[in-house]
Amino acid sequence: MRRIVLTAGGTAFGVLLLLAAKPHQTGPAAVPAVAAPQGAASGPATGVHTVTGGAVGTPLGPVQLKVTFDGTRITGVTVLEEPDSTPRDEQINAQAVPVLTQEALAAQNANIDAVSGATFTSQGYIGSLQSALDAAK
Amino acid sequence: MTSTVATRTAADPGQGTRHGDSVAQALLTVIGIGAAAVVYLWWSDTGAIIGAAQWITNGARLCGLLAGYTAPVLVLLMSRIAPLDRTLGTDRLARWHAMGGRYLVGLVATHVTLIIWGYSLTDDSNVVHQTTEIVFHYPDMLKATCGTLLLFGVGAVSARAARSRLRYQTWYHLHLVTYVAIVLVFFHQLSNGDEFLHDQAARVCWYCLYLGAGAVILWFRFALPARDAARHRLRVAEVRTEAPGVVSVYVTGRRLDELAARTRAGQFFRWRFLAPGLAWSANPYSLSAPAADGCLRITVKERGDHSGALAGLRPGTRVLAEGPYGALTADRRSGAKVLLLAGGVGITPLRTLFESLPAAPGELTLVYRAGREQDVLFRDELEAIARARGARLHYLVGPRTEIGEPLQTRTLLALLPDLREHDVYLCGPRGMTDTAREALDTAGVPPRRIHHESFEF
Repeated sequence: MRRIVLTAGGTAFGVLLLLAAKPHQTGPAAVPAVAAPQGAASGPATGVHTVTGGAVGTPLGPVQLKVTFDGTRITGVTVLEEPDSTPRDEQINAQAVPVLTQEALAAQNANIDAVSGATFTSQGYIGSLQSALDAAK
Repeated sequence: MTSTVATRTAADPGQGTRHGDSVAQALLTVIGIGAAAVVYLWWSDTGAIIGAAQWITNGARLCGLLAGYTAPVLVLLMSRIAPLDRTLGTDRLARWHAMGGRYLVGLVATHVTLIIWGYSLTDDSNVVHQTTEIVFHYPDMLKATCGTLLLFGVGAVSARAARSRLRYQTWYHLHLVTYVAIVLVFFHQLSNGDEFLHDQAARVCWYCLYLGAGAVILWFRFALPARDAARHRLRVAEVRTEAPGVVSVYVTGRRLDELAARTRAGQFFRWRFLAPGLAWSANPYSLSAPAADGCLRITVKERGDHSGALAGLRPGTRVLAEGPYGALTADRRSGAKVLLLAGGVGITPLRTLFESLPAAPGELTLVYRAGREQDVLFRDELEAIARARGARLHYLVGPRTEIGEPLQTRTLLALLPDLREHDVYLCGPRGMTDTAREALDTAGVPPRRIHHESFEF
């Protein structure tokens, strides 16, 4: 019995120590790197057209969007690239991306809230959206 | 013969026990290094931990990794690798395995709980929804869930309370289900574990660990016994009643000299008799005489269904004997003087040691405790051995109600005033060995000089 308590307690303590030893804040200057938007016509365009936002790097992998405009109005967002290296990432994106898209369509700009639990995807999404909007101006 | 072997013992006294302990130390160290490597795998793959959800999820990942490592290690401990078994002792390995088993179930339970909790916190969803999500939508998780439930089932069955209500054989066969569980759970580790998805080397190591454990199991528990069965073709030669409810089974076969050569006095085999009702179980029984003269002998007291049915064995019945196993051998002793302390049918391995343990005249003593006169086994044999070897032989016979507790420090010291200088080999029913241990402890015999192997599971 004492042995069981010791091993269980020892393991719990060790795991906590390991977790505590990791950094607990995002590193400084976590400004996502944005690659230049591709195939974007400079200057405002009329009619229905699409603009591909820049690929935004995140710790889990790049995020890149294709934004559809009707004139200057955002009518749709397609995700070209998102972090998908683990099943867990895919699961998180499956929940976060529709929310982000809904927010973007409602706000008509990139000034939208990150989805909790999908910090990196949100960061990348907002960055790529902003770059597409910039290119469309 | 006696003198030459005695010289060897005098030259390296104490090597056996210390060797076993240092091998145990080394083995535990290797297991520990493996665990450290697994922790490093997590460490190198993990960045910042931000927020409660990530604390919990990472705790879950660590527990999961450790569980994934513990499972094949436990399988290896139980794979009956003969040299390891002989050095460390079957009972020590079984104890480690049992302890590790509880640990594994704890790790898995923690992993499951924390993953569900951590993921729910991250996604801001409720636990039930998250659980369904994990079980049905993550790769290989349906299999892993089945495996985990099987593992918990076996854990519950193995818990001591539940086990005593089960037949040993039922318990044993249920236990084999864990192999299925481990295979089922294996795949989700590679298809969901961040550590493995991005690290080819880690994946290769994990495959090696699991496939290696599988290969060792197949080799030591199936291939070698099958080879032995084909080579020795053992058959029952005779069944003889030794005392009320106690029978000896004599077994003959081919090339028994080979089997005898690799068997040490005090070891046991797992016996499977290919007769109706017996073929499904392999029970551990010690040889009750040194393997020699083309014949093996086991002596068994009627206890459960298995041991009871042995009396009805017909000569010619095929026998599979897996072994030899066990470390209750001459290797364990650390000094010249030896006391063999037997209780009831526990005389069997000690009877063998009494005949063959290297010892000069006067250095070897057998104390044999039995409840009734008619329960004393091998009386003639023991007396012949004692005479031939100049060894001492004492009986402590009679029910406790008449003679009191026979295994007292006082009694033992009266028989052996220098008891403290002896290595004690102890074998008997649980109550007897507990009492004896206490008496020996009071007499000042250090625990490391008390050698005991328990087959009670």
